[in-house]
Amino acid sequence: MAGWRNRAAMASGYIAAIAVAGMMLITVADVVLRAVFNFPIRGTLEIVELMLACSFFLALPGIFLRDENIVVDLIDQKASSNTVTVLKRLSALVGALMLAVLLWQGWISAQDTLVFNDVTADLSIPRIYYWMPVLAGLAGSILAAIAMIFDPHVKRGSHSGGAV
Amino acid sequence: MSFTLSHGAVGLIGIIALLALIFARLPIAIALGVSGIAGYAALDGWGPAIRMTGTVTFQLASAYSLSVIPLFILMGAVASRANMAKELFEACNALFSGIRGALANATIGSCALFGSICGSSIATAATFSSVSIPEMRRHGYDPAFSAGAVASAGTLAVLIPPSVLIAVYSIGSEQSLPKLYAAAFLPGFILAAFYVLAVWIIVWLRPQWVPNVPGMALGERLKAARGIWKLGLLFFLAVFGIYLGWFSPTEAAGVAAFTAIIIGFATRALDWRKLRDAFLETAFTTAAIFFIILGAFFFSRFIVLTRMPNDVAVWVNAAQLSPTIILLIIAILYIVLGTFLDEVSMILITLPVMLPIIAQIGYDPIWFGIFVTVMCTIGLISPPTGMTVFVIQAQHPDIPVQRIYLGTLIFLAADLALVALLVAFPGIVHWLPNLFGVK
Repeated sequence: MAGWRNRAAMASGYIAAIAVAGMMLITVADVVLRAVFNFPIRGTLEIVELMLACSFFLALPGIFLRDENIVVDLIDQKASSNTVTVLKRLSALVGALMLAVLLWQGWISAQDTLVFNDVTADLSIPRIYYWMPVLAGLAGSILAAIAMIFDPHVKRGSHSGGAV
Repeated sequence: MSFTLSHGAVGLIGIIALLALIFARLPIAIALGVSGIAGYAALDGWGPAIRMTGTVTFQLASAYSLSVIPLFILMGAVASRANMAKELFEACNALFSGIRGALANATIGSCALFGSICGSSIATAATFSSVSIPEMRRHGYDPAFSAGAVASAGTLAVLIPPSVLIAVYSIGSEQSLPKLYAAAFLPGFILAAFYVLAVWIIVWLRPQWVPNVPGMALGERLKAARGIWKLGLLFFLAVFGIYLGWFSPTEAAGVAAFTAIIIGFATRALDWRKLRDAFLETAFTTAAIFFIILGAFFFSRFIVLTRMPNDVAVWVNAAQLSPTIILLIIAILYIVLGTFLDEVSMILITLPVMLPIIAQIGYDPIWFGIFVTVMCTIGLISPPTGMTVFVIQAQHPDIPVQRIYLGTLIFLAADLALVALLVAFPGIVHWLPNLFGVK
């Protein structure tokens, strides 16, 4: 993988990993405080939701940059290396277009939450904060997908990232 | 001249288009998203279809129930890096020591417990491929049988709770996760028992594949057995913590992941670099799975709009086929899908259509969750793309992939026996949830 791609993917992964760590720590702290002092952390659920949005959407650009989207690569055994490379670039193009639609609609919905000043029920966290990682992640993923269309290092290879 | 297609025909075209895009190497998440949005537009116009994308994306961004997935993945990623597998294998080996086939049975026992914590069949197979295959080969076990045992036992990870795949099913089908986990217990352990039985059958039919290994002394066995406590504790927290009413599923996952980190550092099996890698793996794996879930949300909105699930259910009713025949057809469909699709995609793609059919023939979504998970275990070891087989072959390139598939055959028969058992006695799934009144 090209150096810049690796660094950008890792940056995306680190930010998402911090969100996962935050999700775990707030959950444990809530359980311990509730069990020991009968004093649960108010709004844990809302904080975990925010961290979850960060962990998924901010890691998504990394998935594109690392070429780790889950694919069925049976065609690799039959097609030439050039065909596979073309298919990968086309996939990145279609992905970028789909994500652009999501970003466009997300942007409109985010503006609505801002205009109506939507907040969460418990902690009154402005809903726009939940949209921020979504929009940032989608925008980053579009850039990553576009980069993959033009990256000369994109070659054939099988991936199973995320399979359980 | 103009003509309009029926909703059902659009649905069928949508499914065919989805499969075509997947085979054309489009990432599954994007294929689901594109066919879902385009199909929705074909039925309801582009405006509503595009507006639907904004709603669904935010739905995913604020779904607390999904938080259980990254936390269970984290627990598995930490356990994998904290050397818990080797100690567990030694403990299980001590348990079976002296019995012919002990090493193969130790592999099955340790994969069952480690897999339940790890949650990933691929990670379980990869871990035990380096832990138990060399040990079995050193004692003269047939290499293909050794590899087949690990590939098959690795699949127990998706069935025995707490399983990430069952958590995905719970979200896709809107069923209670604690109830699904309780339902999966008995079938999971029955499958492990069937695998042990399969080893004994091999011992009887092909004794040369499984040479006798001298038993361990009692002191040695007791010492080795202590290695079970780490994963035992994690299993207790992650599973029994839920049923004892201590935690919600997300809290259980969070506490168990945190405990795995504490144990790792306390026993010096984990360092900061390994912990960083575990968090990174969690972030990327979660993103890959959630992206598919997002695509599946779009696709299922489209499928619901086609009214296809109801139409298929009505058709099934009119065809007057027996439930067993319908289940057989569904099982064959999943075996075919499992040859090229990963388990998460397989479940999320088929759920919107399958659930109404299942309800029509008198089975419930909890039963179907376990049934479909077992079908996934079959897909993981079925040619041509049995993922766990490939993982093992990559680590043991001297064992040809065809021979590993041969080694899994007896375990595949065990999988099919469990499927037959589930169909014949669906009560197996409900016994534990009913016994403890799990909701």
